[in-house]
Amino acid sequence: MTELETETGIQINNLSFGYTKERLFSDLDLTLRRGNIYGLLGKNGAGKTSLLKLICGLRFPDSGACNVLGWEPQHRPAALLEDIYFLPEEFHTPPISADLYRQIYAPFYPRFSMEAFREYLREFDLLSGKRLSELSYGQKKKFLLAFGLSTRCRLVLLDEPTNGLDIPSKSQFRRLLARAGEEDRIILISTHQVRDMENLIDPIIILDEGKIIFQQTMYEVTRCLQVEVQMEEPSGDGVLYSEKGLGGYVVVRKNESGEETQLDLETLFNTVITNRDRIGELFEMRVPGHDSKGGSA
Amino acid sequence: MKRFSIRRLGMLLRRDFSAGYKSVFIAMAAVGGFAILVSVVSAFSRELGPIHKQMYYPLLFIGGYIVTSLTFKELHLNAHSVFYLTLPGSSLEKYLSKLLVTSVGYAFGSLFFYTAVSSAAEGINRLIFGYGHPFFNPFERATLIAVAVYLVTQAVFLVGSVYFRKLAFIKTNLYLWLFGIVLTILVGVVGWLIFRDYAVGRRIELEPYFQRLGDSGEMQAVLVPLAENFAKVAKVLFWGAMAPVCWLISYLRLRETEA
Repeated sequence: MTELETETGIQINNLSFGYTKERLFSDLDLTLRRGNIYGLLGKNGAGKTSLLKLICGLRFPDSGACNVLGWEPQHRPAALLEDIYFLPEEFHTPPISADLYRQIYAPFYPRFSMEAFREYLREFDLLSGKRLSELSYGQKKKFLLAFGLSTRCRLVLLDEPTNGLDIPSKSQFRRLLARAGEEDRIILISTHQVRDMENLIDPIIILDEGKIIFQQTMYEVTRCLQVEVQMEEPSGDGVLYSEKGLGGYVVVRKNESGEETQLDLETLFNTVITNRDRIGELFEMRVPGHDSKGGSA
Repeated sequence: MKRFSIRRLGMLLRRDFSAGYKSVFIAMAAVGGFAILVSVVSAFSRELGPIHKQMYYPLLFIGGYIVTSLTFKELHLNAHSVFYLTLPGSSLEKYLSKLLVTSVGYAFGSLFFYTAVSSAAEGINRLIFGYGHPFFNPFERATLIAVAVYLVTQAVFLVGSVYFRKLAFIKTNLYLWLFGIVLTILVGVVGWLIFRDYAVGRRIELEPYFQRLGDSGEMQAVLVPLAENFAKVAKVLFWGAMAPVCWLISYLRLRETEA
């Protein structure tokens, strides 16, 4: 087994892709390492879902290389598919019971854990025995999530997983996912519901206009950025981002004091999107097609 | 990693057989109920012909073609296709599973099902009236030939299922009709060009032509063997080439669609 297979889960180099002549991605580079729950953030139409589909072989790159767990995903080899679970935003569940679904689909995944599955279903309160087609959208999503995590696939791709979940389910989701992180597993979550992912996803990847403009661990973020709330409107070169809130101005600056402050994901996202060049310099990244440095937590 | 695994094919077969089993049961109940009702009513009317054979053929052909036409529906629906495409299995395994379910699976499943239904119907008839229709014999030569014809012809509907995103059954039928019309026109034009000297008004009067061929002995020496050979070639094409060609076309098209 090569180093690429053992440590790096996903390696994308100079990848170009587009639905039309206009490229969605050009010369995209990305490296994801095992043992992390990555958050893929971006505005609508930034290409988050397309990137997930490229990774699991549902879309093919126009040029460049994409290596996933040692395989080229565009060929969709069964050995790779046994190790990938993709939960899309729009999905279908057959009109069968949860137990029959498990009986039919679990054998496709050699590492499927029945014990974990039961535990996840209990956690999500899905032991009713109803047909899947009779469940609500949120319940169906929770079921597929429980199934996906029980497959123990080394790559789990979740596209907007908290859409349609009620408030208790979102907490359950966070709890469950935090437990599901394993050393050899990559969980990649694409979302624009950043508040649902607070304290869960790390490292953070931000995709904008077809480029990875940010990929850092939260440790690096707190090391480089400082956030504070002040009453006066901030000014000066040191201000990277500010927004007016109820308690005053939330201001993001370069962390020069070394003091650690808690920057929420929404503020981080806005800081990066509005100030990508300076953020790039600060994190010593090449902007826009940066060298993917962060990533290993 | 093997591109083909019997184990995975088995799992896919199980999945394909289980998919929508509720709808299958409802359809079976409806067909079974209808067959029993028709059988009892016709026995009451003392119409005691081979009714079960007549009822089995539409079930085999029309039912089978509809089931076949629906088989790749999940590939054409966005929400379904993601699960189909990311399901661990090669394209070949997934294709073979669908093919086996809709061809051999459906043919023998329907044979078994209808044997049970007709036995029940005739049991009821004999219980009520003391007589009934002839029992349905699944091993009868005509029935087995019908099954063989189904296995060959359903391949055409498999192609339709891969090609058409919606209404595959209707569209495949329309294309077959269109093909039939074009073929008829083509044969008509060629016939006209060959036999136009024998035209009497809009009709072609071939009597004098056959008379001449008969008199010269060409009919027996040339035309009859030619017709016999033509029939042999057509038979070989039908039984030997039609289904494999359709399977290949549908598989290649499937690979293209999956991409």
